[in-house]
Parts: sequence; C-alpha cells; structure tokens
Amino acid sequence: MTCKQWFAALLVGWLAAPAWAAGGLMLRDDSLRAAASAASAVVGKAAKGSEVEILASKGGWTQIRAAGRTGWVRLLSVRSTAGDAGKEDLDSVVALTRKRESGKVVAVAGLRGLNEEELRSAQFNAGELRRMEEYGVSAAEARKFAADGGLAGVAVNDLPAPKRDAPKSNGYPWGGY
Amino acid sequence: MKVRIAVLLACMAVSAQAGDIDRFFKDLLKGKRPAEQQQTMAPPPQPAPQPAPQPAAPPERPADQLLRALMSGNMSVEEERRIGEKIAGNFLGAVKLVPDANLQRYVNLVGRWVALQSDRPDLAWHFGVVDTDDINAFASPGGYIFLTKGLYRRLGNEAELAGVLGHEIGHVIRKHHIKVMQQSQFIALGASLLGRKMKDENQLIQNLIGNGAEIMSRGLDKESEFEADRVGMVLAARAGYDAFSLPKVLEDIGHVSDQDSRVALLFKTHPHPRDRFDRLAEAVGDRLDNLPEGKTLGQRFYVLR
Repeated sequence: MTCKQWFAALLVGWLAAPAWAAGGLMLRDDSLRAAASAASAVVGKAAKGSEVEILASKGGWTQIRAAGRTGWVRLLSVRSTAGDAGKEDLDSVVALTRKRESGKVVAVAGLRGLNEEELRSAQFNAGELRRMEEYGVSAAEARKFAADGGLAGVAVNDLPAPKRDAPKSNGYPWGGY
Repeated sequence: MKVRIAVLLACMAVSAQAGDIDRFFKDLLKGKRPAEQQQTMAPPPQPAPQPAPQPAAPPERPADQLLRALMSGNMSVEEERRIGEKIAGNFLGAVKLVPDANLQRYVNLVGRWVALQSDRPDLAWHFGVVDTDDINAFASPGGYIFLTKGLYRRLGNEAELAGVLGHEIGHVIRKHHIKVMQQSQFIALGASLLGRKMKDENQLIQNLIGNGAEIMSRGLDKESEFEADRVGMVLAARAGYDAFSLPKVLEDIGHVSDQDSRVALLFKTHPHPRDRFDRLAEAVGDRLDNLPEGKTLGQRFYVLR
C-alpha cells in the first residue's frame, strides 16, 4: 500500500465512523423499535440507567445502539451525555478566560453577560419599552405567518405534573421563605 | 440571606406600628380606602375657597387599589400588565433590544402564534431579543417576554424558538410572578411602606418587585419552572411545531459548562437543564406517542448577522 492509499483508507475510515455518534443515558425503561413510531415493531429493550450510543433523531424519537442492537426509543427516554463533563467543549474554553471571584463568575473577556448588580440598579427605559411594544403583532398577522409556514393548530391536552411528592421548600429566594 | 434579613426588618417595622397596620388591613379587606378613614377621623371639612390652579402633576394612581387586588387575588388584566410593564421597562434599562427590526418582528410573529394556543390569547403579548451574550430568557406579568441574543444564537430552528417562548408564556399564563407577590410577606412589606410614605401605585410596584429589575435575577420556585416546561412543550405542539424542541434546547444548554459565566444567572435561577429534561420525560411518558410529527421550519429561521 502506498502512502497515498494509506491516507485514503484512513480518510474513509474517519468519514465512515459516526463522528456524530454521542453517548446517551437511558432515563427510563423503553422498547427498542424498528422505526420512529409507537406502532412500529419492538425489536428489543433498553433498560433505565444503561449507557447507549445515540445515532439519530426524528420527531419525538431517537435512534440508539444498545448492547449491539439498533432501534428507536422515545426522545425523552434517553438523554445525551456528550459534553456533560464539559471537556473539549468550546464553551469550557471560553469559561477558562474568566475568573471566579467570591462565588460570582466575573467575565474578564470580551463577552458581555447580564450581571445582577446591573439588573438591581437598572432604571426604567421608556424609549426602549416603546420600541418593544411597537414590534408587537396582531393575532391576524400571527395566523397568516403560521399559515405561510404550513403550520396548523393541533389539539393537545395539558400535561399534568408527574406524580411525586412536591418539595415544600426549595432553594430559590422567590419561593424560599 | 440578605433577603431574609430585609423581610425580617420589614416585619419588625410592621409590628412597630401594629395598630396602624391592623386597621389598615381591615380597611383594605372591607374595601375602604385608608384615606377615607383618615377623613372621617378628621374634623368635618369646612367649605374652602376655590384653590388656585395647580400645575398639572403626572398622573398618579392610588396604591391601595392594586394592593387590595393583589390581596384578594382578583387582579385585573390591566393591573397585571402595569406590573409587567414596570419590570420590563426596568429590565430594558439594564440591557437594550438587539437593533434588528427584522429579528424582533420575526420573534413577535412566532411568539404571538404560540401564545394564541394558550388560554390567554388576547393578552398584549410582546417579545424582544436583548443584546447580551448571556444564555437566558425572561417573562414579566401581562405578556412581556425576553430572550437573550446568546440563547437565540444556540437555537437551530423556529420550533426551538417556539419551545423557549412557550416556556416563558407558561410563566405568564400561570401567573407565577403574581403568585409570588401575593405571598403575605411581600404584601406586608408593601403595606408597611404604604402606611407610612407610599402614595402612588408606581411606588408600590417598585417596592413589590425590589430594586430595578432584580426580580429577573431571582428564581421562581422549581415547580413553577417544571410547570412552564410542560406548558412550553404543549403550546409548541398545539402550534404545529415539533413538541420535542424544548427538551432538545434543554439538552443543548445542559452541555454548557457551569463554569461559563453566560449561564451563571440561568443556572442560579433554574433547576439544572438535565433535571428539567428528566422531569419532562416523567411528565410526558407515552402521552405524546400519537402526536403527528411537528414542523421545525429550519429554513425560515431568522439568522442573526
């Protein structure tokens, strides 16, 4: 094999490998299905807590590989773990340009964020509020915009809160005392 | 901790003049204005000569009317909007709108369409993208919704925008901020100030919301956030969008390092995106299995320059 061929083989190998395949964690037991639909045949199972490979996503379904089998599970049954540790993420590189100061993260680079002191000392800006209100659209305009995009209303029931004991107190100042 | 001390001080202030405040509250509950009572205690007014014309003062609304509405839980849509307007105006004093009319218009079209799917379609809904790299979104009572440029840049299509706006619309239609203000401590705080020096509504609102727009840097309770996530998914689905766009955004934000200052405020005021995703998974289960696949509309998603 010549050097060129080696290089070509490497390139093909790199392209064929699912570079986008990400790790995932099963949040609940779910069936593996042949296609992205609840009506599709069940081809296996993926258990809560198992680590899987995420291959693709379509609507409310995610294609995974679990224990050598490939199939589709509900999108909310599996959560991507890629970057959970924050490693090799551009975001963490950006974060390195900041320093921590007495528990508060202070931006030292060019990016501008919201800071609590600015919010606390903010003065009413009538001009900017008027501008915001001028951008408002009517219900009729919104309906036309939706129709232009091929959107039509769908009947969907409210989602009730999952049954579990709601904590009486929480860590947030607005609800905490 | 600081807040607790502030409330404690306010309570002490209330008890220091408990007699006044008790009477004040009784009057409020009876629907009587405290000012009227003062008048009845004062000697009968003498017919006075016509006063000289005064220079026109800025219009002032008496504060007790709004306070009574808060206490009774029967706030009018207009009163709710006035509270929201004050918060929104203060917020815009800290961070301006992105100067891009096409972007703002686009976000209003998507947001209004999503809000039309709610049980409060006729509120005066306003949406704005604010010029900061922070990754966050905010709601203010009465229908004022903000998202940051930093969050907008992470979105991949119109459905994801709809999901994010749907979450904020959820806070407004379920009146999460108003419910916090109805907590007795806040009303006591407002009343103690009202009894002493506060006469107009604008001042009452400012006292209820704290300094400037600091209310935006405080969290709601976790259950309100989980509820807004459920509403966001449902509204996006009703609007014909991919119902799963909101959990996809949560998954993406969950991957931002918690050391990154752009998510400092978001992570401080919300449960971690991972927990929100998990809670949605619990709430949805197989309920949306038969939902027709919604649109994502990536092709017409407005791209920020």
